[in-house]
Amino acid sequence: MSDLLHFSEHILQEVALVFMAIVYTLRLTWLLRFKAGGDRQAPTGTAGYTTPRRGIIYSWLNIASPWAMESTRTQFFFYIQFVLFHLGVVSAIGLSFVIPYAPSLLESSLLVLILQISVGAAFAIGVGRMIRRIFAKYIRAISTPDDYFSLLLLTVWFGFAFFAVPNSTVNGEWHLLTYFFLTAFFLMYVPFSKISHYLYYPFTRYYLGRTMGHRGVYPIRRAPRTQN
Amino acid sequence: MNNNVRSYKAQKVLERMGKKLNRQMVGSLAACVHCGMCTDACHYVLANPGDVTYAPAYKADKIRKLFKRHFDWTGRVIPWWVSAKSVYTDDELEELKDTVFGKCTNCRRCSINCPMGVDYATFNRMARGLLVSVGVMPEGVAVVSKDQWEIGNQMGVLKEDYVDTLEWLSEEMEAEHSDPKATIPIDKMDADIVYSINPREVKYDPRTISDAALIFYAAGEDWTMPSEGWDMTNFGLFSGDDDLGGAVAKRLYDKVTELRGKTLVISECGHGYRSTRCEGPNWAKMNVDFVMESSVDTMLRYIKEGRIKVDKSKNTTPVTFHDSCNNARSCGLTEEPRELLNLVCSDFREMYPNRAENYCCTGGGGAMSMSEYTPQRLKSAKIKADQLKATGAEIVVTSCHNCVDGLADLIKHYKLGMQVTQLVNLVANALVIEKKVAVPVGEVPAEAEALAGRKILVIDDEPDIVTFISAILEDNGATVFKAYSGDEAIAIAQKEKPDMMTLDISMPGKSGIEVFEELRSLDDLKSIPVCIITGKPELRKLIYDRQVLPPEGYLDKPITEEGLLVNVRKILELVHEK
Ligand code: SF4
Ligand code: SF4
Repeated sequence: MSDLLHFSEHILQEVALVFMAIVYTLRLTWLLRFKAGGDRQAPTGTAGYTTPRRGIIYSWLNIASPWAMESTRTQFFFYIQFVLFHLGVVSAIGLSFVIPYAPSLLESSLLVLILQISVGAAFAIGVGRMIRRIFAKYIRAISTPDDYFSLLLLTVWFGFAFFAVPNSTVNGEWHLLTYFFLTAFFLMYVPFSKISHYLYYPFTRYYLGRTMGHRGVYPIRRAPRTQN
Repeated sequence: MNNNVRSYKAQKVLERMGKKLNRQMVGSLAACVHCGMCTDACHYVLANPGDVTYAPAYKADKIRKLFKRHFDWTGRVIPWWVSAKSVYTDDELEELKDTVFGKCTNCRRCSINCPMGVDYATFNRMARGLLVSVGVMPEGVAVVSKDQWEIGNQMGVLKEDYVDTLEWLSEEMEAEHSDPKATIPIDKMDADIVYSINPREVKYDPRTISDAALIFYAAGEDWTMPSEGWDMTNFGLFSGDDDLGGAVAKRLYDKVTELRGKTLVISECGHGYRSTRCEGPNWAKMNVDFVMESSVDTMLRYIKEGRIKVDKSKNTTPVTFHDSCNNARSCGLTEEPRELLNLVCSDFREMYPNRAENYCCTGGGGAMSMSEYTPQRLKSAKIKADQLKATGAEIVVTSCHNCVDGLADLIKHYKLGMQVTQLVNLVANALVIEKKVAVPVGEVPAEAEALAGRKILVIDDEPDIVTFISAILEDNGATVFKAYSGDEAIAIAQKEKPDMMTLDISMPGKSGIEVFEELRSLDDLKSIPVCIITGKPELRKLIYDRQVLPPEGYLDKPITEEGLLVNVRKILELVHEK
């Protein structure tokens, strides 16, 4: 292993992680500086069916309950893409820890295969999403340069992660170097981009769930469609 | 911020935005990933395929870009990277107005379909409030807000008219049931229930008040209606003006406290229920120590406790139920109305989607008061129209006065031929009341003579409508004169001096509004009461803009025989008593 690769796997990642942690802390402090709106009303909705606590849990689990929202029910294919894409993110991030700190895990060809399928699928979905962002009228209309760049960054990162998974330097180090430099850039760029949405997710979902639970809306109830 | 190039209003909007932001809103503004999952949740999008300006995220970004430019890190440093943009001119504020008022009913359907939990409707309301605070708003919003600030209710109903109406309804009920207890008690202290209503009920739909009164009477309820602070609607919800919202809610809460009422019952109105029951204490920054409930809960309780008896075979026409957005998506009132409907109707048909996923009536968020956006409102109503049609029902029931108007308008526009009604009407119709006093039946004075001796001028350019109205009035004993244009109407009025007139607003040539203004300016005609009849409820406000005395009554098309007679009799009785 070259010094540069060693640096990129260790010091560079650690610096990037510390930087990200600091910026995230500042970001959260910024968010928490805004006062949370309260709710003085007595609960509404069918007594006993909904509570703020149930609403919060329902809201947090919403993302794992594709049947809960009309949008995910009717765009199930898109939902599946979403799941695979995010599993790819988890795999690619996990990889940046496994290679430097537990490389022996990658001696398992099954794990290598799982990780490659995961980041490979995420790469394909990233390409598909980019095409959609460029060509689908509604999506293009709401896309910012950051949306395009973030997606491009992740897609390229998945591509290099795919080649980095076996952690092999037999054919050179370029793929590992690129993967780790991209990971470091990704970690430092994330807090300033839309990718930081996962930082807000627990908050937006918590407050929406609390309100909707208190007001008897969450969990949502529907009547099954029948013939009139 | 560059104060040199920003208009005063734009500057104020940005300053006030900083004060309005709370954690929930900041989360929603920061968390959107532009995934587009919410797009198809919006009825505006579905009815306008290909027009991206209706997409929830596109509309939200008009507000978000301001937030990013002034409050978010990346947007402050490299604005173009995240499409952050400030606002500088009054024209830009006007454009924003057209989005937040004209392209969104704040129905919250996109909010419950966003995987990130972005609540667009909430910050869209905030944006409305910011614009209203600098005087940028649709004219109707300004008029209604002014009425609610100054007169105390949304429709400018004067106290004497309100009390007169209650007394008139009370007398009718007492006479009909031959029971001195069958009345509407006003300002009764220590009552178990204080009943609050929507001013629309006084003005256009007094039957909902008499039906509710009948139900309270049948249940043996100890109830009252306040003489002041009775309006449970709250335009602050639509205009985004929390100060107005708080003031209106407080007026109502203070009155209930003053009367030492135990429970405040809110008549069927989605935004009224949400404003009074849920948002009001937050806006007014006060805790309310009495119980508040929807009249739907009250009626259901009466049936369950056996306090009233109902016979569902009295309501056999197929009905469906429309969920008001405010009731369903913001207050969880979805099961009780259905339970009640199933108790009082024999043929209830569910609508799809339903409950919290139901589509907006398209008249929500104050849209009925913004006549400049009527064409796009009616176009977007196609989604609701298709939904209604698919049920096969003949009557659509809703627990919201705003939805009644919105649905009636789209039903007329799409020629669905359905009727709109409320639960209170169906429950009252299904009531089984044991007569307290047996009246020997002699020769019952014929209903047909109710208008005997009255001269009424009917003014409408549509011959079918003139014939329909005339037939009803003549059947009830009135002498009817018919006019098909404004000039003809004035000539007949001067010659015949009728006791009252019904006047259509939309007529070719001299419009009903011009005719009305002319009638009010002529010494010999100005005291003749006028009932405005219109198929475009949003035009009513044009009448109010005139510097003349307002009309004595309103009636929306399609006209029902019962509605016409109730209104005409009420106007004649009130005016001639005075
Ligand atoms: S509001 Fe929600 S669903 Fe709509 S684009 Fe943004 S993140 Fe996606
Ligand atoms: S709140 Fe309703 S009307 Fe407004 S954008 Fe969302 S879905 Fe459309």
